[in-house]
Amino acid sequence: MRDLGTMVWKEWAEFVGNRRFVRVFAIAVLIMGLLPNLERHNVARGNPNAAAVLTLLSLGYAVFAAAILVAQTAPDLVLRERSGRTLEYLLATRLPDWAIFGGKITLAAAVGYVSSLVTVAVQLLATNLIGHTGPWTWTYMAVPQGRLLALLLTPVIAAYMATVGTFVALRVGDQRTAYLVTMLSLGLVALPFLLRIVHLHFNMPWLWKAVGVMALVTAAVVTAGFRLFRREMLVLYLQE
Amino acid sequence: MEEPALVFRGLTRGFSGRLAVHGLDLEVPAGVVFGLLGPNGAGKTTTVRMMLGLLPPTAGTVRVFGLDPVRDGERVRAMTGILPDAVGLYDRLTALQNLDLAGRIAGMEGGRRRRAVEAGLRRVELWDRRDDRVSGFSKGMRQKLGIARALLAEPRLLVLDEPTSGLDPVNIVLLRDLLLSLAQEGGRTIFMCTHHLDEAQRMCGLVGIIQAGRLAAVGAPSDLGAGARPAVRIRCTRLDAGVAAALPLPPGAAIVPQPDGEWRVLLERAEDVEEVVAALVAAGAGVRAVVPEQRSLEDVYLSVVGASPHA
Repeated sequence: MRDLGTMVWKEWAEFVGNRRFVRVFAIAVLIMGLLPNLERHNVARGNPNAAAVLTLLSLGYAVFAAAILVAQTAPDLVLRERSGRTLEYLLATRLPDWAIFGGKITLAAAVGYVSSLVTVAVQLLATNLIGHTGPWTWTYMAVPQGRLLALLLTPVIAAYMATVGTFVALRVGDQRTAYLVTMLSLGLVALPFLLRIVHLHFNMPWLWKAVGVMALVTAAVVTAGFRLFRREMLVLYLQE
Repeated sequence: MEEPALVFRGLTRGFSGRLAVHGLDLEVPAGVVFGLLGPNGAGKTTTVRMMLGLLPPTAGTVRVFGLDPVRDGERVRAMTGILPDAVGLYDRLTALQNLDLAGRIAGMEGGRRRRAVEAGLRRVELWDRRDDRVSGFSKGMRQKLGIARALLAEPRLLVLDEPTSGLDPVNIVLLRDLLLSLAQEGGRTIFMCTHHLDEAQRMCGLVGIIQAGRLAAVGAPSDLGAGARPAVRIRCTRLDAGVAAALPLPPGAAIVPQPDGEWRVLLERAEDVEEVVAALVAAGAGVRAVVPEQRSLEDVYLSVVGASPHA
């Protein structure tokens, strides 16, 4: 665990020095936090299900904020080692393979989760401070379904995408392509719903089950990641 | 007898049908500065990667202090300090953070780590710049910091790729002295890849020349040239090409004029030089100096890698 801590410390120390990413992070959470509030009037106009649509939209933005930031961060943590020519040193250290991989996906997943929480906070502030009077409104966080999806589904999705993004970066050397391929992996999760193999419900038993299934899929992907990741893959990457 | 630091036996590695390293056989004793010389693409980096367990060999074996890097890669890397060709410092971290990271990776505890980091930064005269980001460092400063990082955990084996690259002459001398003292006093083995033949000649107790993945020559720098045909440089007056061509030289000897006005005489045996001098004096030449020619590492290297040495 100490080796994992060392890797996370290293990734974090580098991460906070990346001013470009801090800007991207701030812009993403602000847009995802403010957009639902700005769209409120368009959605509400003549729509009997306005409240439900707005709730889903807000929640979707929070999940999307996590997704885009993980898809940006996970490949970047690998690609930056290559472009910065630090990969050779990292691989020649005594750090075990699992710690190198674990450090990268832990930070990427944490970035995703934190971004979704900050997005939720911005949404709440925007709802309550812009043109709102009366008592504090918790929007979808007031209902158990909303809390379940915002607090439990987002870290699961972030961990899934962090693992996929890290492996994508082993094969794709370009940041933009790696980002797009990682984002597409989110489409794989949505595929059963789009093909109408699985139908969406918003009752608690169904949502618990859905989050549970997604957590199992993520656990399987992360476990496979730890088993399959070998520093030899990165060395061959250098050799190319 | 002490166990060799490195043993390579028939070490081979191929990539997509091309052999990067082919049947490498080599032993490096412990406590020696070994220089691996060779042109770009000769197989030096692939050899180092197999040595550290980063690439498994296609055939053959390598042992580092008796350990197999394929099975015990983590233990091999734990006893190795490395300075890669690109140095590989984290630009967004400060000099202090870079060394602190190396200490953490090496598993050094807080107090010991802090002392080692400070000593390392002071050793390479970067203590005053400890809180500066590495992105603002010159190539020489990066190289020095990379060396401090490689030495931080006092490894048994140091692997240095072009260690003097980017250093000014004063720092090259300091580094050379440091490495030699590490090898002599600390008993460390230093495995160095370099293109600088002069550096290898001065620093290495043993060198190997690798060409197209094969080890073409190995030995002490002074011994490598010893097997060559003896030659002397003669400075004399009253000798021209016509007289030189008519000299009664011993069997197998040849005399060649040099651009600097001296004459280079190739001999079959070193003692034939007396006969050559006698022939020159008999022909009326005034012999001022006779200097035995040392065949340099550069001559050996150039002849091995296929470039033509000076005549």
